[in-house]
Amino acid sequence: MTIEFRDVHASYDANTPILRGVSFTVNDGEFVAFVGTNGAGKSTTMRLVNGLMKPESGEVLIDGVPTTQLKTSELARRVGFLFQNPDSQICCNTVREELLFGFRALKMDMDDAARRVDGIIAEFGFNPDDDPFLLNRGTRQLLALASIVVLETPVVVLDEPTTGLDFRECVKVMDIIRRLHERGTTVVMVCHDMEVVADFAERVIVMSDGLVVDQGPTFEVLRNRRTLEAASLVPPQIVDISLALQLMDPALVESPIARANTLAELYAAIAPDAQAVSFEGVAR
Amino acid sequence: MNGFLEYVPGTSLLHRMNPVAKLLFAVIFAIMCFCTSNLVFLGAMLVLGLVMAASCGMMRQTFGLMKAVFVFSLILALLLILTSSSGEPLVDLPWGYIGTGSILAAVTTSVRLEAAAIPLFLTFYVTKMSDLSNSVVKVLHVPYKYAFTFTSTVHFIPVFMNDMKGIMEAQTARGVEFDQGGFVNKVRLMVPLCVPLLVSSVRKTNSAAIAAEVRGFNLRTRESGYKQYPFAAYDIAALVLVIALVVVAVILH
Repeated sequence: MTIEFRDVHASYDANTPILRGVSFTVNDGEFVAFVGTNGAGKSTTMRLVNGLMKPESGEVLIDGVPTTQLKTSELARRVGFLFQNPDSQICCNTVREELLFGFRALKMDMDDAARRVDGIIAEFGFNPDDDPFLLNRGTRQLLALASIVVLETPVVVLDEPTTGLDFRECVKVMDIIRRLHERGTTVVMVCHDMEVVADFAERVIVMSDGLVVDQGPTFEVLRNRRTLEAASLVPPQIVDISLALQLMDPALVESPIARANTLAELYAAIAPDAQAVSFEGVAR
Repeated sequence: MNGFLEYVPGTSLLHRMNPVAKLLFAVIFAIMCFCTSNLVFLGAMLVLGLVMAASCGMMRQTFGLMKAVFVFSLILALLLILTSSSGEPLVDLPWGYIGTGSILAAVTTSVRLEAAAIPLFLTFYVTKMSDLSNSVVKVLHVPYKYAFTFTSTVHFIPVFMNDMKGIMEAQTARGVEFDQGGFVNKVRLMVPLCVPLLVSSVRKTNSAAIAAEVRGFNLRTRESGYKQYPFAAYDIAALVLVIALVVVAVILH
């Protein structure tokens, strides 16, 4: 399922434009990350994708259909949305009820729903009778994610899914998102953590001041100094090191050391004769 | 427009008045509106309220308030029309009639509510909440705990409104159609959302209470605030004016 923005303008009030002509396409099955400073318009873009906001001008197309022509429930069947704060989303008294909520709202087949919910409970390791409000922050975020995943929407939009999570919880959430993407779901994610972006996203769209300032394959964008400056971004550590090396010695620009995107690539560039090394479990 | 109950800066007389004087003026003004049923007098008070709003540059916001009050007063007016049979009969009802007196009472109620609401509304918008709580502590000797409770309650209203909006958006994104099926359906769909709202409210108030405690909330006394709130001549004049209006209202009753 594709998402297409065509010269989209949007604002919350007439005096403060938030998006000032945004155009991009997210192809079916892609994993795209939106990056940029606070106030760049990323979250507004996400709200336009699932129809919580309508564009003032321009078009937002989901599989070729403008969001203005779709009811919210029709959009909810196509686009799952994970909010930054799971407490906005959770509203039921048990984990099981919470996971079933979306099916009820969308008036879907409840037999199929029960089967899918059982599967998700097993996959995520939830206790179905737990009170969601008594779970810790990370587990609540996982539950909010699970309630999106269980609906099996072809597109999933994630607004800062790792905010407020510790490293272990962050890895767990991102692992689930990775599996979701591997099953063919289109994933659109807003994220401030460039390490996470570098590890998971196939493509990055950079926003600044209501405009798309750059877009392309993840490392191509994250290695572009002009883009990084324009959007006040700090690249992942390895890219940072290689960019610093390029600055120290311009002769290194084309060398494998200065083009390394991962720890393994950097190590291979420094010690090309060394045996293959596994970096599994090594902290970034 | 600013957010709900968010201070609107300005230099008007109402902005400059002592917060206690403003509060007393607004409360006495509201009471005065209930002391009379003279429609002409109430109409004049409504105009006075609008003049005050214009002087603070808050006409647009005031019309917004009037619209909201009108919807509420319409319900009361309808009840009055249907239940108070007075004046010349216009329409017969199984239990009485709708008369000219019923309609006059309904109109009077609407105008009264509008007139009473405007100064209170303006007071909250042209006074900083911190000034309001500090001044009632300094001038009226209200214990700070109670003043703080009142102002933080007011302060939390827009916060909770935003929370509710966020929760409703989250549920809309999950396919709940709040915009389908009319008012009753909307209320039915919103009731379960009170649980997350309550949970988030309790969490927020608990955090606010802890934050206040660690900053020495219990040590605060009447002398803790450095700002003084003296009454100026126009504060006294405003209070004299409103008391005079009460007298007129009672006489015209």
